[in-house]
Amino acid sequence: MHDALLAGSQFSGQINFLSPLINGIANGAAYGLLGLGLVLLYKSNRIFNFAQGEFATVGAIVTYVFYAGTGVLPKLPFFLAAVLGLLGSVGIALLTERLVIRPMFNRAKVILVVGTVGVALLLIGVEGLLPYPKTQSLPTISDVLKVQPFIGRIDNVPVLDQDIAKLAMLVVLAVGAFVFFRYTHTGTAILAVSQDATAARVVGISVERISLISWGIAGLLGGVAGILLAVPPTGSVTPGAFTGTTLTVSFAAAVLGGMTSLPGAFVGGLSLGLIEAFASADAEFVPGLNHVHSGQAELAVFLVLLLVLLVRPRGLLGQEA
Amino acid sequence: MAAGTQILAPVAGEHRVGRTYLWVRFVAAAPLVALVLLLPLHSDVYGHVSAYAAIFVMVGLSMNVLTGYTGQISLGHQAFVGLGALTAANVVSTGVRPADGFSFAIGMVCAAAASGAAALLLGAVALRIRGLYLALVTLVFGSVFADAVFTLPSLNGQDAGVPAYRPSFMATEYRFYLFALAMALICAYVDVCVRRTKVGRGLVALRDNELVASAFGVNVLGYKLLGFTISGAMAGLAGGVFAFWEQAFSDKDFTAIAGFNLALTFVVVAVVGGLGNRGGVIAASVFFALVSPLSPFLEWFARQTHWATYYGNNKFYISNVIGAVLLLQTVILNPGGLGQVIRPFARWFGGHKFNLHDSDGGGVGTMEGSSVRA
Repeated sequence: MHDALLAGSQFSGQINFLSPLINGIANGAAYGLLGLGLVLLYKSNRIFNFAQGEFATVGAIVTYVFYAGTGVLPKLPFFLAAVLGLLGSVGIALLTERLVIRPMFNRAKVILVVGTVGVALLLIGVEGLLPYPKTQSLPTISDVLKVQPFIGRIDNVPVLDQDIAKLAMLVVLAVGAFVFFRYTHTGTAILAVSQDATAARVVGISVERISLISWGIAGLLGGVAGILLAVPPTGSVTPGAFTGTTLTVSFAAAVLGGMTSLPGAFVGGLSLGLIEAFASADAEFVPGLNHVHSGQAELAVFLVLLLVLLVRPRGLLGQEA
Repeated sequence: MAAGTQILAPVAGEHRVGRTYLWVRFVAAAPLVALVLLLPLHSDVYGHVSAYAAIFVMVGLSMNVLTGYTGQISLGHQAFVGLGALTAANVVSTGVRPADGFSFAIGMVCAAAASGAAALLLGAVALRIRGLYLALVTLVFGSVFADAVFTLPSLNGQDAGVPAYRPSFMATEYRFYLFALAMALICAYVDVCVRRTKVGRGLVALRDNELVASAFGVNVLGYKLLGFTISGAMAGLAGGVFAFWEQAFSDKDFTAIAGFNLALTFVVVAVVGGLGNRGGVIAASVFFALVSPLSPFLEWFARQTHWATYYGNNKFYISNVIGAVLLLQTVILNPGGLGQVIRPFARWFGGHKFNLHDSDGGGVGTMEGSSVRA
């Protein structure tokens, strides 16, 4: 439904900073949403979870099959389907913890990371083998609420309701997770385990339970991200939808924000979205750079990642590890 | 007889069997060699798949040098393979068809050199980054490099790709397979050299404990860079062969989700084969080449069981699942990988006693997964 409304606004011919600004924030919100789960697991387990993108995809797919009533499944209202989708993501995350992470608790971190890579590959494969319409996407927030799609315009640049929803959800989740770690018992227990598992066990924290909880929350964050991102015009419920480029950039965003800082995921996500958008913007006003190449945005991402890691490894908001 | 020149009796215990028994090994090895040399002769399809397996062996050995000996992990190896393919195709594709042997050889050398140089550059910057972050940098490097360089219209020949015509003396699939096999043997020889020489001992010492190694005078950064470069050059050579295997370079093989899958498959090969275990990695490479989406092996298998259509529609996902399940079972249950399983046999062929419970298993050559520091 957005496509028709968008058509008029593209290629207006004028160069502006506004278009990359708004696109950048919209993409950045996506990176931030995925980045939140990455930061959470780095904070709690000190590992990079390469399966985070697949937690998101699983949530989106489960939501879709119940919302559309694929095959023998009942056709459910969107919010019920979304709850099932989130349960699916959390379930997959808990299974990952129990079957892959727990048996390797005392092994080198890099082997755990290879294990999450295996989980990601496995999930992509299984999703691909399941029979469901793979090119569909989830409804946008205005479709769900059955209202006229809201498209604000700032200087003729469209602002989508879905992007506003993403951004709002990102803020809510980042603040919520920050509060969770700062002010709740479970949150501080997770931090204690990540700092010293043995000492945490001595003071009576169940390390196994904490690990399960943190993976469950990561799955929940992934599911929320998936349901918000698998919408038109660009998102879909394809297998591996969020694992290729999106996850890679989200990692870079999380590193930029500081791998240990939840607000950092928010800041890093938005910054990287903006950097990417401006790097790939039609830069006619830069002398000698009138040809836009598709790799520009990714090159910018790589350079930012290298720069951060070499100059300021703890990122923008991260604490000294 | 002077007491000082007394010849000591051989120490009892593990030792190589006498020369008289070597013929048994040769006889036992004959079917294996025959399989490698004669099976690809069966048909063009067999030759094609076998050449692909040889290319995979080269990449597997490249990962073995990097992850197994150096202890660094690379999630972006498809960039080096792709760069090799791109270089070879562009150097050799001068419009001459078929390519002449000389420019073909130059193309292969250029492929290895370009990827080696790229690996050296990446290593020079990235090796300052420690821990898991290095894995992340290689991951982002792989996808960025592929998407930024391979999509340049002047290099990738647009939609048609860069044609890579084989020289006339390897026109048949079997001859090309022999060439790929020779290249794989060169890589295996380099792998053996890296492992057996001062360089190899330095690398393994670094992998096991960097501080101790540097205290013993091992040049930490230099050796790591060397490991990175050798691995990159081997991957580049594999890429060069791959371009001529496919008879074209197409950026779509290495970019986006295909590239991501490829990079992860290489990691899977190194881990499932057993880190630092040459024989295991070679066996795993062959296996994953056979079940890869590009190989018609599974397709043939599916045809026998009336699943051909299903397989045709889902070959990428089926390969993913096979790789992932093997990877997970290896890292969780069987850290030694395939190498540990075939190790008694490999040692027997090498002239040692056959011993299923290899007491010497903890020697310098073997490693635990925990030795990989990323």
